[in-house]
Amino acid sequence: MALSFACALGHAPGILAWREAAPAEQRERLYQAFGQLRIRLDAARLDCLVLFTAEHWANFFLDHMSPYCIGRAQEFTGPIEPWLKMERVTVPGAPDLAETILTACQEHDIEPGFSYEMQLDHGTMIPLHFLTPDMKLPIVPLVINTLAPPLPAPRRCFLLGQAVGEVVRRDARRIGVIATGGMSHDPGERDHGRIDESFDRRFLETMTRLDAERLKNYTVAQLRAAGAGAVELLNWIALGGALEGARGEVLAYEPVVPWATGIGVMAFNVMGTS
Amino acid sequence: MTLYALQKAIRDVNRDPAKRSAFFESPTALAAQYALSPAERDALERRDYCALYAMGVHGLLLRPFSILHSVSEADYLRAIRGKG
Repeated sequence: MALSFACALGHAPGILAWREAAPAEQRERLYQAFGQLRIRLDAARLDCLVLFTAEHWANFFLDHMSPYCIGRAQEFTGPIEPWLKMERVTVPGAPDLAETILTACQEHDIEPGFSYEMQLDHGTMIPLHFLTPDMKLPIVPLVINTLAPPLPAPRRCFLLGQAVGEVVRRDARRIGVIATGGMSHDPGERDHGRIDESFDRRFLETMTRLDAERLKNYTVAQLRAAGAGAVELLNWIALGGALEGARGEVLAYEPVVPWATGIGVMAFNVMGTS
Repeated sequence: MTLYALQKAIRDVNRDPAKRSAFFESPTALAAQYALSPAERDALERRDYCALYAMGVHGLLLRPFSILHSVSEADYLRAIRGKG
């Protein structure tokens, strides 16, 4: 079975950089959930990992933004943030899988950009720190524009996810697919510190059922209302597109005030979806 | 559309060590390298976070820029909320 693992998790820098600032019980519940994901990922004996992820002006700027960018590099380095309290490392890429995904996207009438050179920031490195700490599993980062409007519509992200899901299911390798980021947070903006917990819980419930219609019918404005950073849930919606027929399970949800974000951790049962 | 040039200046200061030291040495000289409106140039030179935010500078560019100048989170939020 090629689709062998799937999960979604937050990537807030506070998880590592300001870990002591969070209430110990919240931090422990999140770290335990990350640990559970790692156990499941190890058990899946993956050959590579596809990440629907976000970056924060690390590679791309307004001189050239694309809605989606697939990393085709042989290897990636990160994190770029010296303050993240994480060692800068090199992670292998999976350029042949990246190329297969690009081709499949064309067949689904969606044309992502691509890059042979991409640096990774906390958006990708915090999840990898907890999921693949030896940094040996080859990755394909798929960056969705969550920074500069107009952002891609949720239904388009879902379609992108469907293309990825199809590739992964028919590939001979054992592949994991994950989404990073969210949930409600407003970094650098006026409502920094506000966490819309009821929005987060409704979104988690939708992801648990992988309700395709509801995921596709979200609007960017609805996500944005939960904070500028909540648009990173476009990554989760793309994951939803890749996981048709699966079911989700919330391993943890914590609105962490000192980290100024709601953090969700979900695992998905992908058995029988290939 | 000079907001692009303004954000580019701030991103350059955030990311490029040479631009960063140039800005610390002379905000005026650094600002002169970009095609800014007089109001944008003034806000950048004075690091007027309230004005820069109101002009539309992205929060994930502006907050890191303020951190370079050791602005606390509380002071930053007070400024962009127009209460500072």
